[in-house]
Amino acid sequence: MIVFEDVTKTYDPDVVGLQDFTCHIGKGEFVFLVGASGSGKSTLIKLVLKELVPETGRILVAGRNLGTLRRSKVPLLRRNIGCVFQDFKLLPNKTIFDNVGYALEVVGEPRRSIRRKVPEILSLVGLADKTNSYPHEISGGEQQRVSVARAFVNHPPLLLADEPTGNIDPETAVGIMQLLVRINRTGTTVVVATHDRDMVNRMRRRVLQLDNGRLVRDERRGGYDQVADAEEQEVLS
Amino acid sequence: MRLGFFLGEALGSMRRNWVMAMAAVITVFISTAILGAVLVTRDNLNQGATSLKNRVLIEVFIKDDATDAQKAALEQKIQSIPEVKHYDYISKDRALERFRQRFGDRIVQNLPINPLPASYEIQVKDANQVDAVAAKFFTDPAVDNDPGTHDGVKYAAETVRKMLGTINLIGYGMWIATGIFALAAVLLISTTVRLSIFARRREVEIMRLVGATNWFIRWPFVLEGFITGLIGAVFAAGFVWLCNWAISNWLKSSDVKFIDVRVFSMWWQSGTWPAGLLPTLAVLGAVLGALGSVVALRRYLRT
Repeated sequence: MIVFEDVTKTYDPDVVGLQDFTCHIGKGEFVFLVGASGSGKSTLIKLVLKELVPETGRILVAGRNLGTLRRSKVPLLRRNIGCVFQDFKLLPNKTIFDNVGYALEVVGEPRRSIRRKVPEILSLVGLADKTNSYPHEISGGEQQRVSVARAFVNHPPLLLADEPTGNIDPETAVGIMQLLVRINRTGTTVVVATHDRDMVNRMRRRVLQLDNGRLVRDERRGGYDQVADAEEQEVLS
Repeated sequence: MRLGFFLGEALGSMRRNWVMAMAAVITVFISTAILGAVLVTRDNLNQGATSLKNRVLIEVFIKDDATDAQKAALEQKIQSIPEVKHYDYISKDRALERFRQRFGDRIVQNLPINPLPASYEIQVKDANQVDAVAAKFFTDPAVDNDPGTHDGVKYAAETVRKMLGTINLIGYGMWIATGIFALAAVLLISTTVRLSIFARRREVEIMRLVGATNWFIRWPFVLEGFITGLIGAVFAAGFVWLCNWAISNWLKSSDVKFIDVRVFSMWWQSGTWPAGLLPTLAVLGAVLGALGSVVALRRYLRT
């Protein structure tokens, strides 16, 4: 689903975003990106969305080479990638319904099917009763669920989440993570960048650890960090 | 294109950001009102200039003892000059009649003979050609020139020159003023639009992340600019027309007789350019508003 080959991205005054990064994320996988702030997690996500363009290397998303993707086709790429962010990125002037509906309007979905699909996905994330509220009227956890609903309403093959639980309390965070897992079960590839140690340790999924723009660990059923791994294992057992 | 959706988006955002929308409407109103005022003023100046120019006459006096052949040749000559717009033959009798109307019966009754010469009154197409046309009669045998002069041809040479100079100068000045005000209007409007879009750059960013194409994002903004421009311009047209009308009325009711302010037509009128105030300003305002949105959005829509 996502292929990075020797990708390097540096920001203006030689700040490293990503350095000689190579990895392969298969279809239907659930992957955690971990690492300290500034280690390159967000850079990676922005590269996949073609918000940024790397200096060197090749990026393939769903078989498409982003380097040769025409600018006018970038919106089409993004329609096939659902996005969830730490700060939710909801449109403040639109109701919950319209926020989710916007992702469908963009693809040219007929009005009738929007009226059917949006309540469906909102009840999936447990917000059926908040349809007509505005983002500022609901809690952070609820806003993040709206954001997940918007990301998934198109049933994209790929879903990216940048610190989805960064701004919400641990209990609500579990709910969000469960949602992401459910989405993953429908066949959607899910990539989650996170600082949430407990979550990563509990879920035991593939972990890519970044440090200063380099890939330092790629583990199939990894924990948040290698050292703590053994202890964690003991505690659990 | 989903006009309904875009229109809804545009109107919704205008309602939510109504302070900004008002500011934009007022900006367009002021800019287009100034342009409208320039239009009306220029039209009146042009009108005044044309009517003055049309009053420039060349009078060619005919010798009493000119032969019929000479007279015929003179008329032939006038007819053959392409710059001549119109000419009148004023016979001796008609000249006397005019004289009587102006000075009264008594003087005329006391005249033993009719001392007034017959003449041609010639109007030229363009006041700039007065000199050249007049010069053609300076040596004509039928014209009543005293020897060595050409006093048989009368026209206001000096006056015409000065007047033309002034009119041309004012004309240029008005064009420059129009240009400057149009530029100011464009800058003012684009600044206002940029401000309102800057306030909503996050929205634009989110739209892009969800996969909206640039035109999908642009349309509501363009429509918003279009509507804003249209509203401002319609008000401006009404305002300018009302001022124009009021001034014209005031001048008519006062004793000032030599200035006549024409009221610029509000609607379309065939033959006038620019067309009426409303269509001209409305098109201008709407296009400026829409264009301002496109330009202001450009930096947020780079991929």
